[in-house]
Amino acid sequence: MKNKYFRHLKNIMPKGMQPMIMFAFSIISIILMLILGSVLYIRFSSVSRQEITQGTQKLIEQTGESLEDYLVRMRQISDTIYYNAVKENDLSHQDRDLQREMNLLYEANQDYLRSIAIYNSSGSLVAAEPVAVQKEDPDITRQDWYTQAMQEVENMHFSTPHIQNLFNDATFRYYWVISLSRMVELTDKGDTQTGVLLVDMDYSNISRMMKQINTLNNGQYYYLCDSSGKIIYHPRQTQIVKGISSENSKVAAQYKDGSCDETFEGEQRKVIVNTISYTGWKLVGVIPFSTFNQGMVNIKYFVVALMLLLVGMLIIINRIVSKRISRPILALNHSVMEYEAGEKPRIYIGGSPEIRHLAHSIQNSYEENEMLMNKIVLEQNERRKSELDALQSQINPHFLYNTLESITWMIEGERNDEAVFMISQLAKLFRISLSKGCTVISVKDELQHAQSYMNIQKVRYKNTFSVVFDVDPIICTCCTVKLILQPILENAINYGVGGMEECGEIRVEGRLEQDQIVLTVIDNGLGIAEEEVAYLLTDSTRVHTKGSGVGLVNVNNRIQLLFGKEYGLRVESELDKGTRITICMPAVPYTEENRKILEKGYLFSKEEIVDKKIKAGKDEDE
Amino acid sequence: MKTSKKIVILLGAVLAVAIVVLTFITLGGRTEQRIHKVSVIIPNSEDAQWSSFKYGLRMAAEDSEMEVFVTSTGESMTVEEEQAVITQELKNGADAVIVQPVAGTDAEDMLRKIEKKVPVMLTGQTETREQDTSSFPVTEADNYAIGEELAKEILQDYNGNIKEKTVGILMSSEGSEAAASRKQGFLDSLKDTGAVQIWELTEAEENVLEEQKAVDFLIALDDDSMAAAGKCAAANNLHGALVYGVGSSTESVYYLDTGSIECMVVPDAFNVGYQSLTEIAKRLEHPFYKMKSSEVSHTVMRRSNLFSEENQNVLYTMNQ
Repeated sequence: MKNKYFRHLKNIMPKGMQPMIMFAFSIISIILMLILGSVLYIRFSSVSRQEITQGTQKLIEQTGESLEDYLVRMRQISDTIYYNAVKENDLSHQDRDLQREMNLLYEANQDYLRSIAIYNSSGSLVAAEPVAVQKEDPDITRQDWYTQAMQEVENMHFSTPHIQNLFNDATFRYYWVISLSRMVELTDKGDTQTGVLLVDMDYSNISRMMKQINTLNNGQYYYLCDSSGKIIYHPRQTQIVKGISSENSKVAAQYKDGSCDETFEGEQRKVIVNTISYTGWKLVGVIPFSTFNQGMVNIKYFVVALMLLLVGMLIIINRIVSKRISRPILALNHSVMEYEAGEKPRIYIGGSPEIRHLAHSIQNSYEENEMLMNKIVLEQNERRKSELDALQSQINPHFLYNTLESITWMIEGERNDEAVFMISQLAKLFRISLSKGCTVISVKDELQHAQSYMNIQKVRYKNTFSVVFDVDPIICTCCTVKLILQPILENAINYGVGGMEECGEIRVEGRLEQDQIVLTVIDNGLGIAEEEVAYLLTDSTRVHTKGSGVGLVNVNNRIQLLFGKEYGLRVESELDKGTRITICMPAVPYTEENRKILEKGYLFSKEEIVDKKIKAGKDEDE
Repeated sequence: MKTSKKIVILLGAVLAVAIVVLTFITLGGRTEQRIHKVSVIIPNSEDAQWSSFKYGLRMAAEDSEMEVFVTSTGESMTVEEEQAVITQELKNGADAVIVQPVAGTDAEDMLRKIEKKVPVMLTGQTETREQDTSSFPVTEADNYAIGEELAKEILQDYNGNIKEKTVGILMSSEGSEAAASRKQGFLDSLKDTGAVQIWELTEAEENVLEEQKAVDFLIALDDDSMAAAGKCAAANNLHGALVYGVGSSTESVYYLDTGSIECMVVPDAFNVGYQSLTEIAKRLEHPFYKMKSSEVSHTVMRRSNLFSEENQNVLYTMNQ
């Protein structure tokens, strides 16, 4: 199954160089963009979350301060009335002063106050501002603010919001107030009695403050509760009372100031709490986690759009870059392909320095190749020509005519044995000359060929010279180029001992010297002038006056073509003393394998030749 | 054209389209979310009795992120007038209407026509004694139960012994299905108690009330009647009749607070407003949503428990 997918993947993978580069670049770009996008989004999201939380925290702190200011002001009003009016005045005598003081304070703060009232210990109204008709039986002593004030006489008490149940209001209004109550000492006719000072704050002030910060329509909201979690203000207060909605206020009331995460009714949210001093009220900001995400939706789209834009641009850039990178290589490849197809285009040279260098190298290589090819062709031609020349020398009509005529004389003179010998020598000569068309033969065959030739010549020259073969048998099993001794011997006869009456001697020696076969043809003939010796191996245009015309140049060339330039002929000659021609060749054992290799024109290195020799030696030992 | 070039062009086109769409969404597509508008047509819409109802609508509108508009109407409306108001509201772009149907047998047909255009939610039954009105979703109090509750409170006050006590019934909206149900509930509950209904008035005028025969109990079946009866009682013009009834305004509460009214049943008007708009919101959000009828609860208020925590919350909604 896996293989199937890999195969499928392999099929859709781009094949060419440029698509491959582009594909790789694009994949890397997309991966980078994905990573970058994710990092960006996470970073944005984190910063946004932090900003929302910080913003909420600041807003809560500011609102908390406003609320505290408001409540401090109410406490100051309460203090002012108590210490400046109630404590300073006797209710029985200076009633009007108390009322005036209360009136002044009420007028100054009527935007924040609903009423100020003083009740005695039995719950009867002592004074009130604004002056209003008290309800028939409001039962003050049972109202929470009164009982709290009477129970904890040292403190001021802030109630939770409630409907003021004190005065008749003919406009049918029922006001929501927060009562600030405290126990006070009242002086009536010189007697001191306890009472309760009530400052009813207009709930709408707190409500307004809270509404101002609850204008966001993103799920985020703020509410106010007392220290027990009882809600003072909540944007969904009535829904909570009716059970339509709910709030985790009881738990939030236990939170310390700061922010914390909570899960309420399956919804994760961040809650920021600020405690209002003195009252212990908690101002709570709630940010559902969905709000964070809501704000991030646009950022998410923006980041995705940005990433797509970058990916798009990168694809275009990748295409341009991949094209620029691959174009010179493709052009180079194209010219190489054309070259391979047999055309002769100019190798494209362009692009980066590396590619230019490569192109130059290829071009040089091709040029060198071509040069070598030409050289090889030339050498091959030369080799063929040399061989042809050598072969032609064997069927030199003059040589053949003389030989056949000698045989005829022998037969006519009834020297049949000699004639048979001559014919058999001639047959051997031609057999080895042909050698089934091979260029490389064994030294043994070459020596046999030389001997046959010399036997024929000796008859022709009526044994005016002698021939000695002194050859180390070890070299007989080595390879040699065929027909190399015969031209030398022919020269030795024609220019050396052929003209001598008697005592002419041609000596053929064969030795193995330092992995080389050294064949030497020595004659004691007329010798060659020193100045001519220099031309013997270089000037092939010289006109041969005698013999087949195949010069030493031909022999030397053929040896060098087969074995390398370090091998070949060496000519030493001295007038009237004789000539010594040395043939140097590598000692390559004559095997079918080596013969074929040499005939293909492959040049053995010295090491290889040694190896071959060792190998051959071992084979022989075995 | 080469395959790789085709792929690049195709990829570029797809990316370009995606970028354009995302840019559109980012820059403005999402901010133009349409806010639904709902019109509310109730008779005498400025009257204090609708305060809780309107507050409920407002809260529901905030929760559902909708816009609600209570149409200003006169004290009484005919079917034609109501139709004209609804049509005008639809022209003004209302996506749905909440209607308190007026008295009249044609109201049903008129509302059916409107329902074909926009979702309609009723806050009271139509006067269709011959027709089946169940096709309209209605959010209202259980008026029959309110009538029963009133009778129960009287019986409770008199330990079940109200034999030969006389009853006068006052209701301002003649033909109103709600008042009719309340009356029915009340009368059914008093059937075997020996109490006698002496009169029934459909005009809540003070001088008319004064002229009525003296009764032991005056039953006011709607807020207008309740306020009128309270006012009359406060002026001692009811010949000693004890007032029981149904109210939903601070005026009625005031008379209860001052002792002019003995007992008052308060339907949960906040919830009528809240639930009716919430149902409409669901329908507008999901066009195949079938709006459901619902009944809201009611509260019994007496002078003694007027400032209980629960009743303070009811008063809070009336004060909005």
